[in-house]
Amino acid sequence: MRSLNWLLFPTLLLILISLYCIFIYAPTESSMGEVQRIFYFHVPSAWTGFLGIFLVFFCSILFLIKNDRAWDIRAAAAAEVGAIFTTMVLISGPLWAKPIWGIYWTWDAKLTSLFVLWLIYLGYLLLRRLLESPIQRARLSAVFGIIGAIDVPIVYMSNRWWRTQHPQPVMGGGESSGLEPSMLFTFLLSLTAFTFLFFLLWRMRCRIEESADRLEALHRELNTRLQEGK
Amino acid sequence: MNFLFAAYTAIWIVLSWYLFSLSRRQKRVENELTRMEAKIKESLK
Amino acid sequence: MKFLNQAGAILWKDLLNEYRTRDALTSMLLFGLLVILTFHFAFEPDSLETQKFAPGLLWTTFIFAGLLGLNRAFASERENEALQGLLLAPVNWGAIFLGKMLANLLFMLLAETAILGCFAIFFNLSLGAKIGWLLLIVPLGTLGFASVGTILAAISMNTRMSDVMLPLLLLPVALPAAIGSVEATAAAFSDPPGAALAFWLKFLVVFDVIFITVPLLLFDFVLEE
Repeated sequence: MRSLNWLLFPTLLLILISLYCIFIYAPTESSMGEVQRIFYFHVPSAWTGFLGIFLVFFCSILFLIKNDRAWDIRAAAAAEVGAIFTTMVLISGPLWAKPIWGIYWTWDAKLTSLFVLWLIYLGYLLLRRLLESPIQRARLSAVFGIIGAIDVPIVYMSNRWWRTQHPQPVMGGGESSGLEPSMLFTFLLSLTAFTFLFFLLWRMRCRIEESADRLEALHRELNTRLQEGK
Repeated sequence: MNFLFAAYTAIWIVLSWYLFSLSRRQKRVENELTRMEAKIKESLK
Repeated sequence: MKFLNQAGAILWKDLLNEYRTRDALTSMLLFGLLVILTFHFAFEPDSLETQKFAPGLLWTTFIFAGLLGLNRAFASERENEALQGLLLAPVNWGAIFLGKMLANLLFMLLAETAILGCFAIFFNLSLGAKIGWLLLIVPLGTLGFASVGTILAAISMNTRMSDVMLPLLLLPVALPAAIGSVEATAAAFSDPPGAALAFWLKFLVVFDVIFITVPLLLFDFVLEE
């Protein structure tokens, strides 16, 4: 019925291969044991979370410049998918930290900015939900999207500098520095798989909005025809 | 390790839920679309 | 020059409005007093603990009092549909932003001064030597907060849950300003102030520059119908 998204097959393939690598190919880490494997989807989720807000920023600016609904759709979809991935980071993070470092959470720069990122996503999505006029919804969320996205790196930096004053336990710092080649490969593969997955979900989400718009247009057309018929 | 299993499961639940909700929404919209198109064809007769 | 004149006119209008009703200032000040009271009974801090937590508590109070003030910033416009009238007038919309932002800034600074005074009294803080630094830190921190707060208040006033939306949108975005302000205040309180103070002051300046420029550029889009 509908054309299959060209991303679907490569994404599935990447996911399957990554799963194999994560659980079988990659060696068990010496100090942390099996739990360390969470790293292979925790960090890529964080990466896609940040990718999402960058796309929101980019698409929001384009929308404000061009006033084209297509960019509004892309921004909103990116926010939704980004929020999902950021949620996954916030879930996997504590589940990784507890067995290894004995604590669920630490207010280090990475985790705090991820938490703030999550809040910005939620604010954006809630804002969209509460605004009824489509034009207003698009415009106001674009403005907030831009402001929020600019804020994220600033939050990260301010936390980094804050920590030089208040040393806190570090979780998962410098993971990528001491990686064996096979682990590095698995990590990069997983990163690629997650990125493809992001774009796949993003595209799917955009398609739904586009179809909904078409539906809306058909509704209106039907109504005008019915009016004319009277 | 239990935590690994829990994290893995949690992530897959979240992802599957989202994928499922996406495809459900897509199907619903497309059904509406075909219905609409049929209605319009009717009104043209 | 005309731009500044327009901003000044809007600023003056808001000041007059507040002078006649005094809603915002009273509620902000009362709120500050209540926080002091609650903090005392919640933690019963001794003098050493008070010194340690004063900067954080001070700025937390400033932030929540500021939210009260910001919420009202556009509420009165909306009530009397005064905003429509404002938009129809041949005013540069950036000037509206500037005027409103300065009004919010002024109200917050007034409330903060009063709250700071109450803090010093109730917690026996000796501010004497530090006043100089505070005179620099407080406006810098409040400026960033007022600036982002004004544009986000303008955005959230369009939703039906505006008083919930504003904190939700503002607090994550203003977090760096809060961090900078608290750290700078804490550094100022310690003897000697040290390099941290200079650093965080510079940080606040950069934050303010970014978050006055960006909202100024985007404000037109918020007001468009």
